[in-house]
Amino acid sequence: MRRYAKKSQTRFLSRRQWLAMVGISGTAAMAGCLGDDDSGDSDDTGDDTSDDSTPADSDSGDSGDSGDSGDSGDSGDSGDSDDSDDEDDAFSDDDDDDEPIDELPEVSGTYDTVTSASFETLNPLYNTEAGAGTAIGRTIDQGYTFDDNNELFPLVYDMNTDDGGMVWVFDITEGLEFSDPYGSVTAEDFVYQIEEVHKSDWANTASSATWGGINIEQTGELQFQAELENPQLLWPQTFDPLEYPIPKGLMEPYVMEEDADGMRQDKELLELQFTGNLGPFVLSDWTRGAGTQYVRNHEYYIQDIDWGPELFNGAPYFEGASISVVEEQASRIGALQSGEADAASIPPERFQEFQDDPNVSMYQIPQPYNTIISVNMRDNGWTTGPGNLFRHMEFRQAMAMAISKQDLIQGVYRGRAQPHYTWQPRFSRWYPGDDSIDQFGSSEQYGEDLARSKAEEAFNKSDYDYRFDGGDLVTPDGNQVELDLYHSAGQDTERLTGEFAAQELEQNLGISVSVEAIDGVRFSNDYWTGTPEGGSATIDGEEVTWDSPAPQNPGPRSVHASEDWDMSLVFGLNTFPQNPLTNQFFFDGPTCFYNPVGYYPEFNAQELFQQAREAETIPEMKEAFDQIFINVAREQPYIMLTFEDDLYGYNPDLVGPSEIFNNGWDLPAWHFEE
Amino acid sequence: MGLGKYITARVAWAGIVSLVIVTIAFILMHFAPNPAIQQAATDAALQGNDPQEAIERAEELRGLDRPIHVQYLDFLQNVYTLNWGWSEYRSQPVPQALLEGLYYSAQYSVPWTILTLLIGPLVGVYSAINMYSWKDHLATGFAFFGFAIPNFFFGIILLLVFAIWLGWVPVIYNPDVAVFSLENIRQLILPVFVLVTGSIGGIMRVSRNESAEFLNADFMKTAKAKGVSPMRAYAYHVMRPTMVPLSTTVVGQLLAIFLGSSVLVEVVFGIPGLGRLTFNALINQDTNLVLGSLLVFTFIGVVGNLIEDLVFTILDPRISYDDR
Repeated sequence: MRRYAKKSQTRFLSRRQWLAMVGISGTAAMAGCLGDDDSGDSDDTGDDTSDDSTPADSDSGDSGDSGDSGDSGDSGDSGDSDDSDDEDDAFSDDDDDDEPIDELPEVSGTYDTVTSASFETLNPLYNTEAGAGTAIGRTIDQGYTFDDNNELFPLVYDMNTDDGGMVWVFDITEGLEFSDPYGSVTAEDFVYQIEEVHKSDWANTASSATWGGINIEQTGELQFQAELENPQLLWPQTFDPLEYPIPKGLMEPYVMEEDADGMRQDKELLELQFTGNLGPFVLSDWTRGAGTQYVRNHEYYIQDIDWGPELFNGAPYFEGASISVVEEQASRIGALQSGEADAASIPPERFQEFQDDPNVSMYQIPQPYNTIISVNMRDNGWTTGPGNLFRHMEFRQAMAMAISKQDLIQGVYRGRAQPHYTWQPRFSRWYPGDDSIDQFGSSEQYGEDLARSKAEEAFNKSDYDYRFDGGDLVTPDGNQVELDLYHSAGQDTERLTGEFAAQELEQNLGISVSVEAIDGVRFSNDYWTGTPEGGSATIDGEEVTWDSPAPQNPGPRSVHASEDWDMSLVFGLNTFPQNPLTNQFFFDGPTCFYNPVGYYPEFNAQELFQQAREAETIPEMKEAFDQIFINVAREQPYIMLTFEDDLYGYNPDLVGPSEIFNNGWDLPAWHFEE
Repeated sequence: MGLGKYITARVAWAGIVSLVIVTIAFILMHFAPNPAIQQAATDAALQGNDPQEAIERAEELRGLDRPIHVQYLDFLQNVYTLNWGWSEYRSQPVPQALLEGLYYSAQYSVPWTILTLLIGPLVGVYSAINMYSWKDHLATGFAFFGFAIPNFFFGIILLLVFAIWLGWVPVIYNPDVAVFSLENIRQLILPVFVLVTGSIGGIMRVSRNESAEFLNADFMKTAKAKGVSPMRAYAYHVMRPTMVPLSTTVVGQLLAIFLGSSVLVEVVFGIPGLGRLTFNALINQDTNLVLGSLLVFTFIGVVGNLIEDLVFTILDPRISYDDR
């Protein structure tokens, strides 16, 4: 008997990972809120990785926004297809920060950005929102970031391991000071924060689920170490060990009283009054619902570090900064046009317009959240007739072959997206390479004949008499197969994607698809998640038991949400190019944590993920991931369509932004052209 | 019953109404899922711990494990001492959040209300006087245009023209400018214009039709026969009786001010007012803030009705409270 549900500790999720899995629109829906109010265009869903106001903040934002920011650009893909763009350059910055400079730039102006959602809290211990992480990051740095080569760049601390990822040593940067009266930042502050706050059962901080089972020990005034339960070579890439420095003296009274509300509502934490020399700016005002304003921090510690770009010596180069909450997208773009904002997200349909505008500099930045068609393999899916064809890999492949990725990218995304073949973007070092994987929907593997031929393979496997009758795919009763495809209400790009997919499926597979809008919260509650019941099912002759069912995988295919549905575009998911091990929550067997569609892998996913978990070197890990992603590309657990690029417009006088995944890691060096 | 006794009875009744509403709110909240408790359970589940244990622990920490009547009395005390709890969505005490929202809403809603109540009836009476002439059609067309065009869309168009193309007004609302300053007028002129044009249509049509009834009434003929000037006749003998039925819409108008269409206008113009606050509190399940908003609107509703009844007696002395 296979018992997938017996999980090791490494298979549990932290809240950060959970929030990162589905992005803002997804998590908002899961949490019962709508997130972006305008939510009119896909660019807003891109706010999750780096808030639309603040494309610069993957360096210091909350892990939810930066937690997936890619990795080194040594992707092995040959990029030989006609659609290959500049994915290989996603991590390489044309600007050479190491070039010697004659004179540091003048400090001038204010860096003003706009965001679509207001901040719930600026308390660093409790924030889980990307936008608020950006606002916090203006005043205080987290432990580290990843630079333009996707190497770990120490900020508040450096992290090293010399035993394959079992024990990690944290070396705290010298010269870090809290505001009075808290003194210098020491290892004791971090150890206390982790041991007494995050690991407690009362505080419920954003990192409360991150540090369980990890043994923390202070080994010096500026050094501590963390011993993990299992080695993790990519631990920094999970962003789990990413913390803000918080003074022990500030936390102590609440720890003594076990006063979670007091700590959550503490004025010094909420208004970031303790930040000393720890960030580029000092918070001067936070008007709820309107935004934040900052003044330059003349004492910023980064001026004195000796491992950063020379430009950091005079950082920051703005007299102040602001983040304004403007919920309406048209107003945010208007602010960029009128010069009131220095950066804003741009929807794809307006990219060209702004590219031709001398008052705006446009940037196209890759990101790891995908656009997929989720096909419901559970008993409440395939509502058109008996025998759910989505359960057959060949039928999913046929669907992927029926939808042209190039036409979709050109027609709907105006060329501002990348094709999605497997569960990694092409710029990822973990991408197996174009030659190794199926590229359904691309020129070689796209078309009516191919799709129909593949669909017929699925019919042969089905117990029911599905067939093509003329141009139509018909059910055993002789009626045309009719399926519904849901998209988020108000998301224009998503709707267009749905309409395009419907047209392709009709034309190439003879399926009649009805595209319907739905509220994200309703879809999440009534269609996507079910009451966890557990149970068991026989899969490939073996009995599999769901011992730890979750709403996103409530049990075998017979257990499902309350409403019937066929296909959905509502949720895009994270592909975790930094630490693809996290993808085990999607794919490591029928009982995996996140499996709303009821996908049962036909390859030995669990063993391969185990192999990746236990790898002692990066090449070993790469070998396991290659196999995983080759199989995922073949099986199409979700019909993979595109990775939509984040599109940002900047003030043309601003020097610093670049079209790399870690855009903004060097925000302290950004400045206005003199 | 005299006016004094009437007002006393109405105020007492308002107290009972508020108690009923607060009690209903408590019951609804008691049975509604608590996001903080849910979060604790989710965290526990994600880590493979016992969610039920986490729920009990979280309830204990928040005093939710006490008997319901104790929680209710505690709740009542908090409500009537303005201890309305903490807004998780804004990270500040609920009364402070509401006051801040009100502060920004009032800056555009007061001029909006005044202008609407002034311009609407005036345009209506003007139309009635010039009924079926081109002036009537022009005034009606103007009122209907504002009524018909969605505020949200109109606001964006105006921003495009006057803020982005012409640069006369800012796109981003600055909450820090002085209330009585030119800068504040500049940034509020568009939202006020949008709201006024959107709301005078209904008032204009009611007042046009009402005043048409009085234009040929016997007392107007008498006034004209006595040589009363047309302006005086219209103001005292047409406008005044017209305002009596019109005043019944005042409460609705007040409620609309603080919630209704202002939500969309606040979204477009980025004003951190009460409309956006309440809307976001709802969609973010900020229970305390929703309850606080509910109490504010209850207060506005009750007091607004009271004021409305009192206004009747001033506008129309024939209305008496002696029999009530």
